[in-house]
Amino acid sequence: MKRFLRNFDWLGFAAMLLLIVVGTLTIYSAGHARSQIFHGMWINNLSTAVFGIVLYFLLAWFDYRRYLPLLALPAYFVSLVCLVLVLVFGAEVLGGRRWLWFFQPSEVAKLSVLVMLSVLFGSDALAEIRKSPWLNGFRGFAVAVLLSGIPALLILAEPDLGTTLALVPAVAIVVFAIGVWRRGLVTLAAIAGMAALAILGAVYEAEKPSASADRRERIMKYVPLKPHQVKRVKTFLFPDSDPLGAGHNLRQSKIAIGSGGMTGKGFGKGEQNHLKYLPPAVSMNDFIFCVYAEETGFRGSLVLLTLFGVLLFTGCLAASRATDRSGRLLALGVTTLVLAHVYINIGMSIGLLPITGLPLPFISSGRTFLLTVILGFGLVQSVSVHRQPLI
Amino acid sequence: MRRCDLLLAVFVLVALVHLAVNLRSVQVDGAAEYAYDGTRQSVRRVQTAGIRGRLLARDGSPLAENRVSVSIVCDAALLRGRSYARTADAIEDSIANLAELLGREVPLDRTRIDRHLQRQIAVPMTVWRDVSEDDIARFAENCGRFPGFSLQSTFERRYPSGAVSGHLTGYVGHSRGDAEEGDQKFYSYSPEMIGREGLEAYYDGYLRGVSGEDRVLVDSLGYSVRRWTAVKPQTGPDLVLTIDPKIQLAAMRELSGRKGACVVMDPRNGEVLAMVSSPSYDPNICVPSLDHEVYERMRDDPRLPLLNRAVGGSYAPGSTFKPITAVAGLSIGYPENERYFCDGVFRLGELRLHCSRKWGHAAIDLRQAIMSSCNSFFCNLGTDIGTNQLISTAKAFGLGSKTGIDFPIDAAGAVPDGEWKRRMYHEQWYQGDLAQMSIGQGMLLVSPLQMARVAGALGTGYLVTPHFRYGATAERTTLPFSRRYLRIVQEGMRMVVSGDGHRRGTGWRAGEGVGVSVSGKTGTAEVGKGETRRKNTWFIAFAPSESPSVALAIVVENGESGGATSAPKAANILKECFR
Repeated sequence: MKRFLRNFDWLGFAAMLLLIVVGTLTIYSAGHARSQIFHGMWINNLSTAVFGIVLYFLLAWFDYRRYLPLLALPAYFVSLVCLVLVLVFGAEVLGGRRWLWFFQPSEVAKLSVLVMLSVLFGSDALAEIRKSPWLNGFRGFAVAVLLSGIPALLILAEPDLGTTLALVPAVAIVVFAIGVWRRGLVTLAAIAGMAALAILGAVYEAEKPSASADRRERIMKYVPLKPHQVKRVKTFLFPDSDPLGAGHNLRQSKIAIGSGGMTGKGFGKGEQNHLKYLPPAVSMNDFIFCVYAEETGFRGSLVLLTLFGVLLFTGCLAASRATDRSGRLLALGVTTLVLAHVYINIGMSIGLLPITGLPLPFISSGRTFLLTVILGFGLVQSVSVHRQPLI
Repeated sequence: MRRCDLLLAVFVLVALVHLAVNLRSVQVDGAAEYAYDGTRQSVRRVQTAGIRGRLLARDGSPLAENRVSVSIVCDAALLRGRSYARTADAIEDSIANLAELLGREVPLDRTRIDRHLQRQIAVPMTVWRDVSEDDIARFAENCGRFPGFSLQSTFERRYPSGAVSGHLTGYVGHSRGDAEEGDQKFYSYSPEMIGREGLEAYYDGYLRGVSGEDRVLVDSLGYSVRRWTAVKPQTGPDLVLTIDPKIQLAAMRELSGRKGACVVMDPRNGEVLAMVSSPSYDPNICVPSLDHEVYERMRDDPRLPLLNRAVGGSYAPGSTFKPITAVAGLSIGYPENERYFCDGVFRLGELRLHCSRKWGHAAIDLRQAIMSSCNSFFCNLGTDIGTNQLISTAKAFGLGSKTGIDFPIDAAGAVPDGEWKRRMYHEQWYQGDLAQMSIGQGMLLVSPLQMARVAGALGTGYLVTPHFRYGATAERTTLPFSRRYLRIVQEGMRMVVSGDGHRRGTGWRAGEGVGVSVSGKTGTAEVGKGETRRKNTWFIAFAPSESPSVALAIVVENGESGGATSAPKAANILKECFR
């Protein structure tokens, strides 16, 4: 108990609590712009958060080094099974099968992949197994990629490109930290980056106003994107090309954020939100940052970024203080995952990145994801609590 | 291994700072622009009509005023459904129910509702315009059952005196879209009324209120969320007129059922006391908009009710021109007591002009010639005067040019000369033309307003610019003739009404019962030939004879003679002036 209190990362916990409070208020405001049934959405969110915090303390109290090796494999397989089930039985919402009964398996799967990798490549309990050539060098790299690739592909099949994209940097940094075939990883990352640039360039060439229809067709043959994704990339490249069509969400999003100005319009007074210029279908989830930024302004944005910064830095700190490799890998993975979510979500809201459906951690209303990130940071807290005392 | 943690920490820092920098450019640098964009899509500008000033008669009684008109309107925002079609259904149902309650017909069909939802969804839709007090009461009792419906009051123009001053006031009509300014057009224009005819048109800029502006906050579907007033509409100032409603009414009464016109003015300062053109029209039927059928019927009416004869009519002045000829004659030195022998016919070459009295007036002087309206005398005098002198005298009395009145219509008429005749008829100017002109026939054309002014000038010795606006200063032009000559003509004109002690003048009926001494001149102008030949009968007068305060001109189309038809009417009007 003494150690728990001494090692407990109060700063990270406080930042998380504040983020949950901010999220609940923002959901309250976003929900009141919608029909009656969404007015109580903040209560759902808050109750989930409370439930999550209870689990957070449980995860933090017990030593992750003990329970994680036991949990990793079952959690990973249950996730895989759920990901398969969701493709078969999932309810189709907005053109994708993402919901299995009451939760989104893809969110849970992301955490279980990170747990699986950290345990397999980092747990002291598996020190013997890790000497196997299958967990070293190129083969080790291949195993790591396969373990994360299978769920990633299943998520991509839902389809949910955003969640898959957010997983990539987390897995990449974990694999980098493991240290297997590092040269190859860096090369791959470079290739992936170039491929992304190539796709961007190709879409630019095909969709620029001067391009002929013929030329467009010839180029698009080689671009491995679905039409709606091409449209999003196009909106990203040419934000004003179609302000009422594909560009509508982005335009309204930027108006909301921009019109917030320095100080914002006040809680519950966001006109873009309450007059439904922000599409209500996405204002509580992928575009919740707009609701927040419109009502709190640039000051509020800075507060939010600071809270995320504090939380993420405590994650890094936990990683660097971890007693064992699994703890470090886990803290790195969870921190990177959340960072990716924050960066992609806010970045797309202001047109820095193409639009992808991706929740903002702690702020968006999505109970599965909220629970996932709270549990993720519960594990990080456990890493922090069970560190070697500093002398 | 510590490197990875550090690397991630750097990533965190870079990513968050990158976001912060970009957020700053959107939220701080771009704030104004995005706020403008947001306002542009969510705020509608609605123009509200200013209230028009009233037209008041000189005694303060209104000739044009504003009455409150109550309409039942419907706000779509309170009846919104899941789609525009559902909203339209809801509105249609409510209107049908309300129509049943009020016992009225359903005033608009589905296409109107759909169009309103498409174009004007943010502002209330007028369902019943200008409803009765019964309807208002019935609606008010049941308004709880009709969410979205409410009463809206606007101002509607009303002309209390109706047709009596129809030509005078004119009327107002809708204007649309004349107030586009700035970079954003108005979303909806409340019908601003602008003057179409008469004083409403002439003083439109003065009377018109200043439009206000409401702003409507709308949601993404266009429904109104909140409405507030950004600029209050202003009421235009009232305009006090010189019109005396009692004289106006008397003049209208005299002319009712006839075609003709009458102008009464104060010759000292140019104030127009009455201006009547008959037949008239009721300007109230033109508000808020003139029914096309009614307009066509009035336009095609052979009696020309839309023609303002008082200022726009062009008549031959007939014998009312003779005083001008007399002034011209005196000023070229024609002796006032010189007698001319009238045998009933004036001969000039082949031309024969008959006098009003078949057997002639025998030997008469100038005063008697005015009194008896002797054609021969004035034809003879005219040929002595010469064309140029006669024309310049006529022009000195303001004929052939606009009077300068503050009214949209101001016919100049015509004072023909050789040049004019050549242009119009490709004919030469003969002495006969001169003879015709000196008795007010031929090609002379005048308006009743001009003749009222002439009458006044003959009485006072100066010409004034007539005006309707009370308190306006009138321009005075002293006539370039000797007072003595004018006095001789005034004496002649006085004899027209009072006689010379032996005989009655042609206009003796004009003095009956007036109470002050009246001077005047009759006129009977023959127009048309053969079948269409008819007589326009005139009377011009000023009174009291010694120091005139009223000048009058009246013309009645298809009359019997100036003395028989117009003079008694003039007497009745003058009676009202001096009551």
